[in-house]
Amino acid sequence: MIGRAAHRTLIAALFLFLLAPVVLVIPMSFSADAFLIWPPSGFSLRWYAAMWRETKLIDAARNSFLLACLVCAVTLVIAMPAALVLARGRFRGREALVALLTAPLLLPTIVLALALLILFVGYGLIGSWPGLLLAHLLVALPYGIRVLMTAVSTLPPAVEEAASSLGAPPWRVFRRITLPLMLPGVTATAATGRDVPLRGKPDRPAGRRGVSAAGAADAQHRHRAGARGGARADAG
Amino acid sequence: MAGTALVLEGLTKRYGALAPAVDALSLTVQPGEFIGLLGPSGCGKTTTLRMIGGLIEASGGRVLVDGRDVTALPPHRRDMGIVFQNYALFPHMDVAGNVAFGLEMRGMKRGEIAAKVQAALDLVRLGHLAKRRPKELSGGQQQRVALARALVIEPSVLLLDEPLSNLDAKLREEMRAEIQDIQRRLGITTIFVTHDQAEALAMCDRIAVMAQGRIAQLGTPHDIYEHPASEFVADFVGRSNRIAGHAADGRITIGDLAIDAPAPVAPGPVTVMIRPHRIAFTAGGAGWNEVRGSVRRVTYVGDVLACEIAAGGAAFLVEQPTRPGAPPPETGTEVRIAWRVADTLVFPRESA
Repeated sequence: MIGRAAHRTLIAALFLFLLAPVVLVIPMSFSADAFLIWPPSGFSLRWYAAMWRETKLIDAARNSFLLACLVCAVTLVIAMPAALVLARGRFRGREALVALLTAPLLLPTIVLALALLILFVGYGLIGSWPGLLLAHLLVALPYGIRVLMTAVSTLPPAVEEAASSLGAPPWRVFRRITLPLMLPGVTATAATGRDVPLRGKPDRPAGRRGVSAAGAADAQHRHRAGARGGARADAG
Repeated sequence: MAGTALVLEGLTKRYGALAPAVDALSLTVQPGEFIGLLGPSGCGKTTTLRMIGGLIEASGGRVLVDGRDVTALPPHRRDMGIVFQNYALFPHMDVAGNVAFGLEMRGMKRGEIAAKVQAALDLVRLGHLAKRRPKELSGGQQQRVALARALVIEPSVLLLDEPLSNLDAKLREEMRAEIQDIQRRLGITTIFVTHDQAEALAMCDRIAVMAQGRIAQLGTPHDIYEHPASEFVADFVGRSNRIAGHAADGRITIGDLAIDAPAPVAPGPVTVMIRPHRIAFTAGGAGWNEVRGSVRRVTYVGDVLACEIAAGGAAFLVEQPTRPGAPPPETGTEVRIAWRVADTLVFPRESA
């Protein structure tokens, strides 16, 4: 019992340590000060008012949110069938395909970003929604496929066969058995898919989220300007 | 429910260029019959069961249910109940949900489902555990849920794939009797796959002993045990002394011994097989084979006395129930052992 209590205390401490910076942000957002000071000298809503005046920030946040939803949905739609085939199928070149599809995980983000920049410029994709979606899928999809492949391969054996022997056609087997049992993997994938646009990179510390949103807005503006500049150069 | 006739016609499964896993297997199962597919691992028994259930596609041949060809039907349209070796319960549903699944797939009304689920769970004596999750049940209870789930849809055929092999010995015997009772009561045509000969002998109306994708022998447990068709069957079902001999002039010689066979044997090398418990320490007579030998080893395990007797350059294992006042023979003593000629199984030597 003592061992279990100690274990729980340790876990609680770890959670506290990890979540403290995030939690602290909430009271600090009500600060009345002009600078970040803890404890704040008083509380007010001035920063919330300021935020709504900052249209760049709001636009960026909205774009990030839309993008997150889109990336999440597209990732699931592509990664789910891909994972089923890759985890179950027995065909020539399967291993190579898995390696290829998960290869972007191995590259440092900066390398990916540079490659995308060079590639996208040629196609006029910089700062466009299709470009953003493609770039984010490049990071979100490998995670999705990896996680879902694990989810598929850890499904208990024969449950799908049992379901079909009980009269379930394939789509109902998927809907009632496969999908619910893969749900932890699906949730993880959805979280990653959403995370990539919001945080820039899934493994980035959570504390930098706010900075990242603002950074994304700036980056988008620069991209747009760049793209327009490019177009003008072409026209000229 | 009335039993259904199941017919397999030349059922075949090939994987690439390998020897077929199931090789033109034909079998006619009577309505309500309990048939065992018995054999060592890799003999094709599970592959056969999976082809019957539609879980794998047959490379050739047909599966007929009451005369209707179901070979091309997917499993969800075959109306067969399958109990898997690992039970394959749905971990995200409770016991009642597991049992209800097949009825839901049939579009049955909610109230009707509840009644049928309760009846099926009562049948396997688990009515009180309907709200439990599979992982909260013991192995035997999970097994019974799997059985209830397969039976509640009132399938035309029940397929049992080694359903007892994950249970401990005591539970296995209980479940053996329980499955047998339920099968008799419902009169449902059943195919039972097992590698355990005792299980097959105890439960089945008829047994198909399988080897290398074919049926080596089909018969009642009594037939299979008393009149095995081949050395393989005699060896796989029950235990046997296996002694090399030579047939000539209507008798069989084993070293310097000569014994009689129950039926004429073609001259040549033979394998003689005798069940250890059919040999006794007695003098023979008409219709008996008697040999003299010396006791080489004595093993006393309480209810059974096992002695190894050396005779004619061969070793005869003799097993007899122990009796009070009959002390085990001493090692090295000379004894007479005898068995009925009818208990002498003789097969031409397979790899002469």
